[in-house]
Amino acid sequence: MGDAAVTIRTRKFMTNRLLYRRQMIVDVYHPGKATVAKTEIRERLGTMYKTTPDVIFCFGFKTQFGGGKTTGFALIYDTLDYAKKYEPKYRLARHGLYEVKKPSRKQRKERKNRQKKVRGTAKTKVGAGKK
Amino acid sequence: MHASLDVSSDDLSKVSSLFKGISNQVSAVTDFIQSILKKVENGESKTSKGISFLDVKYQLLLSYVIDLTHLMLMKSEGKKLEGDKTIERLVETRTVLEKMRPVDMKIRYQVDKLIKTATSGEIAPNDPRRFKPNPDNLVSKLQQEDSEEEGDDEDDAEEKGPQKYVPPKVSAMHFDGDLTVQEKKDRLIEKAKRRALSSSLIRELRDQYNEEPEEIAERGTAPTRRFHEAAKHQQEFEEGNFIRLPVTRKQKNLKRKGETMTGLEELTKFDNISALVDDSKGEERDTPAKKKSKVSSRLRRSNKKKQTKRRKKFHKS
Repeated sequence: MGDAAVTIRTRKFMTNRLLYRRQMIVDVYHPGKATVAKTEIRERLGTMYKTTPDVIFCFGFKTQFGGGKTTGFALIYDTLDYAKKYEPKYRLARHGLYEVKKPSRKQRKERKNRQKKVRGTAKTKVGAGKK
Repeated sequence: MHASLDVSSDDLSKVSSLFKGISNQVSAVTDFIQSILKKVENGESKTSKGISFLDVKYQLLLSYVIDLTHLMLMKSEGKKLEGDKTIERLVETRTVLEKMRPVDMKIRYQVDKLIKTATSGEIAPNDPRRFKPNPDNLVSKLQQEDSEEEGDDEDDAEEKGPQKYVPPKVSAMHFDGDLTVQEKKDRLIEKAKRRALSSSLIRELRDQYNEEPEEIAERGTAPTRRFHEAAKHQQEFEEGNFIRLPVTRKQKNLKRKGETMTGLEELTKFDNISALVDDSKGEERDTPAKKKSKVSSRLRRSNKKKQTKRRKKFHKS
């Protein structure tokens, strides 16, 4: 849905060679519409910078008071491997490239209660003894 | 001023004895001075490196004494002293000597020490009043002393070589000590004056009588202005560092204030311009800013808890 009304402009473009990426500030103008979804912004940026949208990571989109303009950040990595190496895990999880494994809530609480009985460095050993 | 000729025989005898004493002393002094002169001419004692201040003093004293003797001579011959230049010279010398007296007192210690060294010819090594500072005193002799005294017990604790410097955990505070109480009060008054000058009342007065062209600019209220400045600052930081800052409750409230019309209170509030009003009672009325009462943290927490409880109750009902 590339509506003509939605305009995307980029500001403060910088090539970060140390982290193998290009980073920029994205301004989205969408008068009369709700805030644009990140997936659509990624596709638009992919066409603008001639890359696939899967190496583009967008975050921090904030709409100004009154609507019509949204500002956020975007990072375009050289390859997906570098992206997996340098992006924080929560942003990879948003794209489905990473899964946070944590035990179920009940088990976490049980472990916590078992830890309460022990003092000091022995707390770390308590978790191993799951009965 | 005529000398009385009724002198008694006692006075006469006294005067004659005094005159004899003077003549004896004069002869002794001339002998002494001639010997000194011979010494200086022979070059036995050098006068080049003497303290020039003392030289001046000697010369002045000498001239003073000479003038005095001149006066006494004239008196004894029965001449008039009126309008004599000797008196002017005497007065001048006397004033200069009196001006030199405080300086003399300041260097008296040094001069005494010099004389002592000159006469005794040696300097005591234990003298605590030596001139030069001793850098060896800066080296701490504690470690050596400790290792010698304690020895067996507490070997490891002390002798660890140069220990890590731990700075004191004191937070930096603004130092006010250089200002006296009066200066602090003056500063408060100045600040109040400046604030009063920029109040809305004075501004309107100025606009009324000013001959410059009137400028109409959008001038928001204080909380909105503050909000806009803070928002701009935060925006620049976020865009510069590619990060979004978390929003605290205070900031949320400020944002709400900035976006709504909360400036209505300012229409009825006028600034305090008592600082500009010339009042004799000004000092009494000068109250400082409203002070926060010192409540203990525990009390504050319990008060806050009660407040939230009451608020929730209110919203439920």
